[in-house]
Amino acid sequence: MKTTTRTLALLAAAALLVSACGRDEDGDADDAAQAESVAEGPAEGTIEVWAMGAEGENLDVLGAAFTEENPDATVEVTPVPWEGAHDKIATAIAAGETPDVSLIGTTWMGEFAKTGGLDPTPEDLVNPDDFFPGPWESTVVEDTSYGVPWYVETRALYYRTDLAEQAGLEPPTNWDELKSFAQGLQEQGGAQYGIYLQPGQQGAWQTFMPFAWQNGAQLTDGDQYAIDSPETVEALEFYTSFFEEGLSQNTPLDPGALEQGFVDGTIGSFISGPWHVGLVRDVGGPEIDDKFDVVPLPGKDSGVGTSFVGGGNLAVFDASDNRDAAWKFVQFASQPETQQLWYETINDLPSVQSAWEGGPLTDDPLVAVFGEQLQETEAPPAVPTWEQVAASIDSDIERAVRGQVEPTEAVANMQQQAESIGTGL
Amino acid sequence: MTTYTPPTATAEETAERDAARVGGLPPRAERGSPWWLYAVLGVGLLVMSLPFVWMVVSSIKPEAEVRRVPPTWLPETVTTENYQTLLDRLSFPTYFVNSTVVAVVVMLGNLVFCSMLGYALAKLDFRGKKVVFALVLGTLMVPGIAVIVPLFVLVTNLGLANTFPGLFLPYLVTPIGVFLMRQYFLGLPDELISAARVDGAGEFRIFWNVMLPLTGPALATLALLTFLASWNNFLWPVVVAQTEDRYTLPVALALYSVGQNATQYGVLLAGAVVVVLPVIAVFLAVQRYFVQGIAMTGIK
Amino acid sequence: MATVSTTPAPVAARRGTTPLRRSQARTAWLLALPFLLLFAIFTIGPVLASLVMSFTDMRSTDLRTPFAVDPAGVSNYVDLFGDPLFRKVAVNTAIFVLVGVPLTMVLALAAAVGLNQITRVRSFFRLGYYLPVITSIVAVAVVWRFLLQPDTGPINQVLGLVGIDGPDWLGSTTLALPTLIVMTAWRNLGYLMVIFLAGLQTVPREMLEAAEVDGAGRWQRFRYVTVPVMRPTLLFGAVITSIGYLQFFEEPFVMTNGGPLDATRSMAMYVYDQFGFGNYGIASAASYVLFVAIAALTFVLFRALRSTD
Repeated sequence: MKTTTRTLALLAAAALLVSACGRDEDGDADDAAQAESVAEGPAEGTIEVWAMGAEGENLDVLGAAFTEENPDATVEVTPVPWEGAHDKIATAIAAGETPDVSLIGTTWMGEFAKTGGLDPTPEDLVNPDDFFPGPWESTVVEDTSYGVPWYVETRALYYRTDLAEQAGLEPPTNWDELKSFAQGLQEQGGAQYGIYLQPGQQGAWQTFMPFAWQNGAQLTDGDQYAIDSPETVEALEFYTSFFEEGLSQNTPLDPGALEQGFVDGTIGSFISGPWHVGLVRDVGGPEIDDKFDVVPLPGKDSGVGTSFVGGGNLAVFDASDNRDAAWKFVQFASQPETQQLWYETINDLPSVQSAWEGGPLTDDPLVAVFGEQLQETEAPPAVPTWEQVAASIDSDIERAVRGQVEPTEAVANMQQQAESIGTGL
Repeated sequence: MTTYTPPTATAEETAERDAARVGGLPPRAERGSPWWLYAVLGVGLLVMSLPFVWMVVSSIKPEAEVRRVPPTWLPETVTTENYQTLLDRLSFPTYFVNSTVVAVVVMLGNLVFCSMLGYALAKLDFRGKKVVFALVLGTLMVPGIAVIVPLFVLVTNLGLANTFPGLFLPYLVTPIGVFLMRQYFLGLPDELISAARVDGAGEFRIFWNVMLPLTGPALATLALLTFLASWNNFLWPVVVAQTEDRYTLPVALALYSVGQNATQYGVLLAGAVVVVLPVIAVFLAVQRYFVQGIAMTGIK
Repeated sequence: MATVSTTPAPVAARRGTTPLRRSQARTAWLLALPFLLLFAIFTIGPVLASLVMSFTDMRSTDLRTPFAVDPAGVSNYVDLFGDPLFRKVAVNTAIFVLVGVPLTMVLALAAAVGLNQITRVRSFFRLGYYLPVITSIVAVAVVWRFLLQPDTGPINQVLGLVGIDGPDWLGSTTLALPTLIVMTAWRNLGYLMVIFLAGLQTVPREMLEAAEVDGAGRWQRFRYVTVPVMRPTLLFGAVITSIGYLQFFEEPFVMTNGGPLDATRSMAMYVYDQFGFGNYGIASAASYVLFVAIAALTFVLFRALRSTD
């Protein structure tokens, strides 16, 4: 038994030693925040890029365009499945086995920047004012930017025009109208539910927080959480009233059921991102096209209401052996022409404001709606613990929707949970 | 094991019985497998296979019909577009070969190494046996996700990131395999070993020539379990493969069907059908071994 | 062969160092060596590293500087038990294992015995029972959700025929967990059936014949011949099913995402979430709480099903 214990101890030591060797080369995380500028001239050498899903599948298009401008550079793309991508990047940073550039989900920025594995964005690389403000903020962790927004998505209101017409309704322009809009779609329009709002579960905060933002609430104030406010409570009361009044189903829909219900006319309206245009068309066929429309979220009193903004950023790893070329590729991806090319390739919405002026993005009226909505957006704080805070908000939303707790209590609990989780900075 | 009675039947009797025998049951029971057994098993079969049938049928439906709620059973429109998409987008042969190489190596490694240790733990007497068994069993209980970060750091430091050995070495021996083989060997009578020792056989020969040939059903089970586990393994190949040409089938399928905000179910199901075919082949191949009894006559 | 039963079994040679014992030990270690070598490198090492992690405040943001983390003693473990969500998932998981394991064992054993007896289209039947194990979880989820639909689902329609108003199986905080237990048993019984089919082949036919000659019926032959001989296999089945069910993840993940109101959230989902949140210290600690639970259960099973000799 004694020998066994000793063997175990040796093995443990060996395992730790081996992992230690790997990390020594990578330098220390704390001295990372100084952004070096990028050398002049065209990019050279190989740039390894990881990108997820459809972005990864089609990135060769941008790679080819980049090589055209920089004949001595090649872009090697590895497409990564979204499922497992977070773990892959985390383990790669731990082992120092990263590519040069990767697509990073906006809500992961805080976490990966804080590991010290990302290179700060060079000062003169891009102009932050060129981008929509929310997406740019998602790259900034503790006052340093660690990447560049690549594409964006935001949420708007989908509704059935034929049902609205039948009920004699115009698209809502404030909260009161949104409520009566849902009532009208249900009572006069004949929908089973006037609207679908996510009643809890993963990602519910992305549907709820816009209401809070529209009411002037904030998630953070400086480096403190400021979720618990009369504004958030009022927004949650408004949100839950849709369920109490039977205007929205209070159990989450199965995958696919939302599009199906919308096309069948059992769900009159819902809030979602640009990808739902394609999903609705998939299910409804060509006939559905003149039966639905998308409008920006209504503000509380008037105008366009604040929506959630998400998307993807491009970041360069500090372990990159071709750092300058990597940043040049990122810079290339954020030029308006490249952004338009990328929209034409896979319909990703540009993060650069000027890419929306003229060109392909003005062709589709539904896309233009998302462009309008993008002017009024908020992003969650770029802190490493955000996913955990979000999960606890999701579960408080579910409890409030199901009437287990009062909105005041739910919001107080969101604040308390967020404080105990901390920002992780 | 004291209840075991050595066989006394003559060779002819054994042969005759073998011809009529099924599994471990006496002749009279199987002469008339009663009709109600077929009826009960048939109902069960329906319940068990329903989702599989839906999966296969839906793989030839257009995307919109796959997403229909409630689901349709018979396709309204038959299409090969899902399979076409798979073929167009995926370097199928590469992923298929990668998955197969990894799964076959993992399976062989487990068959050889786990039966060796399983035999030692079940039938041989040595110091430290209990400790080894406890250690093996203990790690069976650690959730896989808990070790993924240290494991990847280790594999990278061994220079194995993005290599085939990196993909299969961590799974070449598995605690579950040892446990399975140990339990099966425990069920075999000790008298076989004693008799072979009396006949002067060496310990290794007893394992290899006497005992191992009796474990057909267990080896078949182990082959199936380890093949399936490796074939479906997702997170590890995602983490360890750094370039697309090292991806396995499940990784490639996830890449092309599961997006950031939407999933292509038609492609996903078509991919699932393709992925499942080799597993069915392995199942049909190994299930034939579930009819061997203990061939007593083999130890003379 | 007649001398076989009088020869001392290998166990009898245990005391003292005899040449037989030495050669056995040598062979045993040689047989164990390749396994232990690979096992030490690829399993023990990472497992120990994660064990050490569970006593630190490591987060994913410390990935590059794992030695800068502070030892946290047992505070991760204390925090866990202070978390009401953790206590809830622990109770869910316990219910799941205590109900699910016996249910799956009984169904799988019944299926294996039945499938072992039939002669015609045997491979077809066996494959059929194995299908849920290899069916894409996506297809499984679609079909089960359809069956369980509160208004239009076939299950509730059948209940309606006999005058029962069928509930919202997955939407109810009380019924969702039992529903998922049944579904998980359905999904895993084929896996266990294969193991039991293999185990059934160890039952010497002579014993069954002798019992039949002595007038034992079907059930008696099963109870007094088959079950005792299959005890090691049953133990294996019970242990791996318990381990699998304590790490119950996929079914709630796709069917309910742990809801409604965490009624189906499992320990494994909790661990998965904590890793996702980057709380490596807490997540590792939760893994080892799960480990202790599994170890305790395994110990009990070994006691309960140990051979009588």
